[in-house]
Amino acid sequence: MLPLCLAVIPWGILCGSLAIQNGFSAFETQAMSLLVFAGSAQLVAIELMAGNTPLLTILFTTFIISSRHFLYGLAVRHKVIDQPLRWRLPVSFVLTDELFAFSHHRKAYRTKTRLIYALSAGFSFYIAWNLWTLIGIVAGSLLPDLTNLGLDFAIAATFIALVIPGIKNLATLFTVITAGVVASILKSLHFELWLVAAALTAMSVGYIVSRLQTKQEHSQ
Amino acid sequence: MMTTILLMACITFFTRYLFLHRALPFKVGPKMQQFLSFSAPAVLTAIWVPIVFVNDEGINLDWQNPYLSAAIAAIIVAYKTHNIYYTTLVGMGLFLILN
Repeated sequence: MLPLCLAVIPWGILCGSLAIQNGFSAFETQAMSLLVFAGSAQLVAIELMAGNTPLLTILFTTFIISSRHFLYGLAVRHKVIDQPLRWRLPVSFVLTDELFAFSHHRKAYRTKTRLIYALSAGFSFYIAWNLWTLIGIVAGSLLPDLTNLGLDFAIAATFIALVIPGIKNLATLFTVITAGVVASILKSLHFELWLVAAALTAMSVGYIVSRLQTKQEHSQ
Repeated sequence: MMTTILLMACITFFTRYLFLHRALPFKVGPKMQQFLSFSAPAVLTAIWVPIVFVNDEGINLDWQNPYLSAAIAAIIVAYKTHNIYYTTLVGMGLFLILN
């Protein structure tokens, strides 16, 4: 998880400085990272709140961006569901894209050691995220414009690092290509549900390809 | 503004916790599990690819686009090294030089 804590530096700084430059107080900016703890939702909400968007629109957008977590919850449900609530609550609080991508091991979350490991990884990411936000708050109030540096590319670079090494079969390759093409098209068309729609389409393609491959192996 | 932030926090937490709630009466079967095994590559790619290709005017396939060349470099490094540090460093470094 340490590499991810460092890879998220540009993103955290972007989040902190963007909020300051859009008129958020330092307290509000930090509170957002401490309570919401969701980079993409925060970035979008900051722009919306700065533009005096109605509350319901902001909350609906947050919900749409966050709805990918439903998939993560479903995917780890069978691993975590037998644990008591005092374990499940903190796990769900830190169930970010990064932790989810990081804990794909078959046995992840299943033993006490692995739970503690996942929680330490998750909460170290939480601390890192808040630290980088704080640096962004300071940098954003000292330097005039950090938001045009293209710090958002850091998100792309990090996710490339998480996705590319995981492409080990045809089904995953098809998933990745579909996700990229569908998401780009839907987003450029300003379709609101672009992220979830693209993810579900790509997952279906991956699933179908893997089923076809299994069938082929059986018939040979 | 704090009210908005608190409500946002409730929403993100709700989306993360819902399916870890025990009272939901269902089990994820093996087929559903296989479908869900593609969620990480699907969601992450659906986030990063539009950062590279989509801007305010639409889809940008121009080779002069610094996001594109830096992304290609990052993909090559990720494929060769499987290393998060090298990938983000090379990607960000090249991106900052080109931009």
